[in-house]
Amino acid sequence: MASNRTFTSPALAFELVARCSVTRARASILTLPHGTVNLPIFMPVATQASLKGLTPEQLEGTGCRLCLNNTYHLGLKPGQEVLDAVGGAHKLQGWNHNILTDSGGFQMVSLLKLANITEEGVRFLSPHDGSPMLLTPEHSMSLQNSIGSDIMMQLDDVLVTTSPDKARMREAMERSVRWLDRCIAAHKNPDTQNLFCIIQGGLDLDMRRECCREMLARDTPGIAIGGLSGGEAKDDFCRVVAACTELLPDLKPRYVMGIGYPEDLVVSVALGADMFDCVWPTRTARFGNAITKHGVLNMKREMYAADFGPIEEGCGCQCCRPIEEDGAMGITRAFVHHNAAKETVAAHLLTLHNVWYQLNLMRQAREAIIEDRFPAFVKEFFGNLYADRSSYPSWAVDALKGVGIDLLAT
Amino acid sequence: MRFEVLKAALKDGAAARVGRLAFAGRTPIDTPNFLGVTSRGALPHVTPDNVDKHLATTGAFMALEDFIERPQQYLKRIPPIYATPTTKKHSTRLHSFTALPQSVTTVLNTRRIPAVPSPMGNTNASVSVFTSTGFQALTTKEYLSAVQTLRPDIAIPPADLTNSPITPNSKRALRMAERTDEWVVEWFSELSESSSPPTTFAPILPISYSIQWEYVSRLAEDYLPTAQLSGLAIHDPDLLPDLAEHCAPLLPLPRLSLADPRTPHHILRQIALGIDLFALPFINTISDAGLALSFTFPPPPAPSPENTTAPGPQPLAVDLSLPQHAASLAPLTPIRTCPCYACTAHHAAYVHHLLAAREMLGWTLLQLHNHAVVAAFFAGVRDTLAQGGPEAFEAAARQFALAYEPEFAEGVGERPRARGYQYKSVGGGEGKRNKPAWGKLDGEGAEGAQAGEKGAEV
Repeated sequence: MASNRTFTSPALAFELVARCSVTRARASILTLPHGTVNLPIFMPVATQASLKGLTPEQLEGTGCRLCLNNTYHLGLKPGQEVLDAVGGAHKLQGWNHNILTDSGGFQMVSLLKLANITEEGVRFLSPHDGSPMLLTPEHSMSLQNSIGSDIMMQLDDVLVTTSPDKARMREAMERSVRWLDRCIAAHKNPDTQNLFCIIQGGLDLDMRRECCREMLARDTPGIAIGGLSGGEAKDDFCRVVAACTELLPDLKPRYVMGIGYPEDLVVSVALGADMFDCVWPTRTARFGNAITKHGVLNMKREMYAADFGPIEEGCGCQCCRPIEEDGAMGITRAFVHHNAAKETVAAHLLTLHNVWYQLNLMRQAREAIIEDRFPAFVKEFFGNLYADRSSYPSWAVDALKGVGIDLLAT
Repeated sequence: MRFEVLKAALKDGAAARVGRLAFAGRTPIDTPNFLGVTSRGALPHVTPDNVDKHLATTGAFMALEDFIERPQQYLKRIPPIYATPTTKKHSTRLHSFTALPQSVTTVLNTRRIPAVPSPMGNTNASVSVFTSTGFQALTTKEYLSAVQTLRPDIAIPPADLTNSPITPNSKRALRMAERTDEWVVEWFSELSESSSPPTTFAPILPISYSIQWEYVSRLAEDYLPTAQLSGLAIHDPDLLPDLAEHCAPLLPLPRLSLADPRTPHHILRQIALGIDLFALPFINTISDAGLALSFTFPPPPAPSPENTTAPGPQPLAVDLSLPQHAASLAPLTPIRTCPCYACTAHHAAYVHHLLAAREMLGWTLLQLHNHAVVAAFFAGVRDTLAQGGPEAFEAAARQFALAYEPEFAEGVGERPRARGYQYKSVGGGEGKRNKPAWGKLDGEGAEGAQAGEKGAEV
C-alpha cells in the first residue's frame, strides 16, 4: 500500500515530506494510534511509566507526543495483572499520546548479571527475590499487548557490540531473526499496535546487511537499528547506521535505539535515521547538568551560584523563556544551583529544560530539511558546540563527509 | 498589609474568628488559613508552574537559613539571593530568586519549622542557624538587613528559642524573654528610619506568660500604637487566653501559629484558641510518607446510633503504598469530589505504582493532593464559622474528633530521603529507613533479595 510518498499499515501511516538534497536526512510525518508525530524525533524515556518527576501534563507542555516505557520494568512493577486490570499503560499514567515500549532485551544485558540466553528465551534471576525467571518472545509480546503501546519492539538477543566473539554475534543476529518470527506469531493486536523489528549484527557491516535483508523480508511497519550505544567507537557506530539506512526502504520509519547526545542525533539524522531515544538527557538533569547549544553545563558549579540568567539564553522552554511571557517561570541558574542535588524541584526543572532542548533540536533539524538547508544547520550546530573547528570530533567530521557535508570547509 | 476580622466571637477574649489578610499585589488570604512550608525556597516536589496552576495555596513560609550557607571553598561568599535582580513579574528578591508566583504571600523567619536544635546555642547578638553546610551564627543585624533586601510580605523578628521539646528552666526562659525583647527593640529602632519597613509579626515565645509579660506589654504599649507591629507569630497557642486577659489591645492583630500542629485535630484546637494563619510542615512529611490526606471539614455526618455496624473513626489519610490500591482507578482517597490535579487527571493505582517504583512524581502528586485537601479543610472551617458562628464550629470540631482517628498512620512506603541536610541525627543509631538501592555484586548482604514481592514470570 505504498505510493511514492506514503506508506500505510493497519496501525501506522508514514508520509515522507521532504528529503535533504545533500545528505540522507529526511523529514516525515508518522501517524500512530494515539496521534501524529513529526520525524525526525527524540523520544524521552519514561522507564517506569513516569518521566522522572514531570507530570504527564508538563511532558505534554514540552511538545512531546511520543515517549518510551520499558517492558521489563513495567512487567516487574506494576506487573501484567495490574496492567490488564487498569487497561494498559496509557490509562496507568494518564498519557493520551503515543507510547513506544522497548522489549526488555537490552535490560537483560545492562541490568542482569546472570542472564542466560537460550533459544527459548532469556533466563535470569528475579531482581526481587532471586527466583529464576524466563523472558521469551511470546511473553514479551504478551506483556507489550497488555501495556498497549503504540509501537512495540521485538525481543532481540542483545550482545555488547564490542564483543570479539564473531560466532556468538552471528548466533545472536540469527536468533533475533527467529525471535522476530515468534514475536509476529504471538502478537495479538496487529491492527492497533505496531511491531518493529530490530537489526542486530554488532559492528560487522556484512552481518548487519544480512540482518537487514532478513528483517525486511518480514515487512514490519517500522525498523530499528539495535545493539548500539554499548560503548563502541563512534566511527563504528556511524558506519553501522550508514550501512543499514542504505538498505532500508524510504517509506518506513527508522529508529536508532539508545542514542541521545545532541551530536549523535544530528549526525544520525544526516545518515538517514528518524527516531531516537535515550535516558541520558533526563538522567544528566538529575545530576545537575543542563544541555545547551554550547554544550552541557553543570549547574552545581560555583560559577552559577550568583548567575541570574536563564539556564540557556534564547531557549524556549518553560524555565528559560523571558519572564514577561505567559506561562514562563523565570527560573535562574542561581536557583537551579541553589537546589541541585538538594531539592527534587531542581531536577524537575532541568528535566523540563533538557527534554525541551532535545525535542527542539529535532524540530529545528526537521525545519532545516524541509527548507533544504540541512547542511547549513549541521554546520551551525557544530559551530555553536565547539570553540573552533580543530576541536570537532573526527568521527563526526568523517561520518558527515560520507554523506556530503564537509564540516571543515570554510 | 490590611487585616480585617469579618466575624468574631461575641464573647470576650481570643476565640475562633474569620478574617481576611491582604497585601498589595498578592492574592488575599481568607483566614483561618495556612501557608505552604518551603524548603530552600521550593515547595518540596512542586515546581513553580505547578504551584501556579494546581495549588490553591496563597502563602509560603520560608527560612533565611535555607539561603545563606557558606560552602567550605567559598567561605567569603555573599549569599547570592541578596543580589537577585527583581523584575516586573517578580517584584521582590524572594519571589525572583525562588520563582514563586507573584500572587503568593511570603513569610520569612530565621529558621525552618521544625528547626534542628543547635548545639552552639544563641548569643546575645546572634541566632545559631543550620544551613546545608552546617551550623553558623546569624547575627540579628544580618537578618534585619536580609529582611530589608529580600522584602518578604511578612517578616518575623529573631526569637531566642531552644527548639527542644524540653521546657526550658525558668532561668533560661527568662533569658529567652529578655533576649527576644532586646532583639525586637533593636529591630524596630533600626527600622524606624526605613521608608518602607517590612510588615512585622513579633514572636510570642513558648514560655509562660508570667515570664514574658514585660516583653509582650512592650509590644502592646510601644509598637502597636506606632503601627510598627502588624501581627503575632505564636509559638504556643495556649498562651492566647493569657494574652487576651492581659493584653487586649493586641487582639485585633492577625495571629500566625508556628507551633507545628501534627494533625487536623491540633489545627482545630488552635483555631478555637484564636489562630488565624498556620505554617503546616506536616503536609510535606505526610506526602513523603506516601499518605494521601482524606479528611473533610465539616466531617461526614455521623451514622445513626441504632446502626450497630457503623464504622469506627476513619483514618486521616490513605496509605497509597498498600497493595489494595494497586489496580484502583478511583481518586486517591474516599473524598470522591477532590478537585486536585492528582485526583482528576490520575488515580490511586498510578500513585501506588509510582511509590512502589520510587518515582519522584508520586510525591509530587501527593503534594498537590494534600495541599488541596488542607485548603478545602480550611475553606470548610471558614464557612462553618461564617454561617453558624463559633457554636456551629465547636459542634463540627467535636464531631470531627469522633469521626477521624487521632493520629496519622506511619506509612509503609519508602521516603524520598531518609534524612538529608535539613535533618540532624540526634543521638545516632536510628538505623536505615530505606532499603539500600545497590547491593554487592555477588549478592552477599544484598537486602533487596529478601524483599517480599514474588514476581511472576516477567
